[in-house]
Amino acid sequence: MSSRDALTKNLQRVARHDTEAFDALYKATSAKLFGIVVRILRRRELAEEVLQEVYLKIWQQAGAYNPSKGSPITWMAVMARNRALDALRRVRMAGGDDCCDVEEIKSGEMDAFDEAELADDLRRLVDCLEALAHDKRDMVLLAYFEGYSREELSQRFKSPVNTIKTWLHRSLTQLKECLGS
Amino acid sequence: MTTDHDINALAGEFVLGTLDAAEREVAARRIVRDRAFAQAVANWERRLALLLLQTPSVTPPADGLEKIKTKISMAMEAADRANNVVSITRSRARWRAAAVSMAAIAASLVAVIGTREINWSNRPTTFVAVLQKDSMSPAFILSVDTKSMMLTVRPVDAKREPGKSFELWLVHDSLGAPRSLGLLPDDAPVTSPTLRKIKKSVFMGATYAVSVEPMGGSQTGAPTGPVVFAGKLLPDGI
Repeated sequence: MSSRDALTKNLQRVARHDTEAFDALYKATSAKLFGIVVRILRRRELAEEVLQEVYLKIWQQAGAYNPSKGSPITWMAVMARNRALDALRRVRMAGGDDCCDVEEIKSGEMDAFDEAELADDLRRLVDCLEALAHDKRDMVLLAYFEGYSREELSQRFKSPVNTIKTWLHRSLTQLKECLGS
Repeated sequence: MTTDHDINALAGEFVLGTLDAAEREVAARRIVRDRAFAQAVANWERRLALLLLQTPSVTPPADGLEKIKTKISMAMEAADRANNVVSITRSRARWRAAAVSMAAIAASLVAVIGTREINWSNRPTTFVAVLQKDSMSPAFILSVDTKSMMLTVRPVDAKREPGKSFELWLVHDSLGAPRSLGLLPDDAPVTSPTLRKIKKSVFMGATYAVSVEPMGGSQTGAPTGPVVFAGKLLPDGI
């Protein structure tokens, strides 16, 4: 059984509140999801809390996972990102931006989940991101991993919000064409 | 081809998270009714999620799983006190599991209908809809008892802005305009016989939508504010 099939099966069992499947799912995915949460939050303690929230959500919402819409690890990774960004925005709103006790992690380092098909797609995505101009790529990554709004990007890149919007649109169009799917 | 590009860029920005609040609302509503746009959003989720997956793994703390199990047990027990939408018998929940949370009920109903875990007392007369912005954020759980024709709506994770009300609408082609089903508090369940005057085929197939209205509800009889949550009753496939 491929790791994708095994994860799908476990996720479906978790939807029926099967605790053994939950243990197996946690074992197979927690380091990957924790990596994502740590990367976004860069605060170890907060990341631990958010990881707990993520698995509570997975327990509660496993039944909403639809295998025809993507791989289970993608579904879980997106959930981890959403929770982490929510937490990051809460921290920013509270004004307590006492960043950070974890080093910044740069994109490009290959450590794909053990799915060969994914590794190919990933290589293509990294290539396509590389093809973007340096600051355009940074914009996409800052938005995706750090929840930057257009206003925040505008401050960071010292350009008007409308210019940022145009750049984002161009980058997204270029990315899509490069990926060809 | 500009429209394709527009859809693509809008969907991409939705996933990146760079839309402003108003644009985000519009886009979230569009996902519900525009299949092409929903697909474009799903495509970006999939493409960009690869970036998440290449993030280096980090081993979580050794007691991580135990803490999560405690959290799950607590959530389930808390929900047990609040919950009476469906009767559930548990055959093998090992962690002091009492009942499941509202969101969990809805989530598991989607997948588990017909298994041993959920045991409807006899023929099901209760149908459930999760009213949500996206699959990650259920806001209200709506249930309809087709025997008593009672509609119950419970808040799960809904926060009302001060000075605003949540208003529930029944949306169905046959009705022409959305029909108001009343206001929803964000801190207490409401039950009403409001569906009695509506045909079963209509309320079973309708979309239930929640809009943000001025305090006390829409003055015009039609939704005036953004639709923030929506959902449909789970089909009768039990």
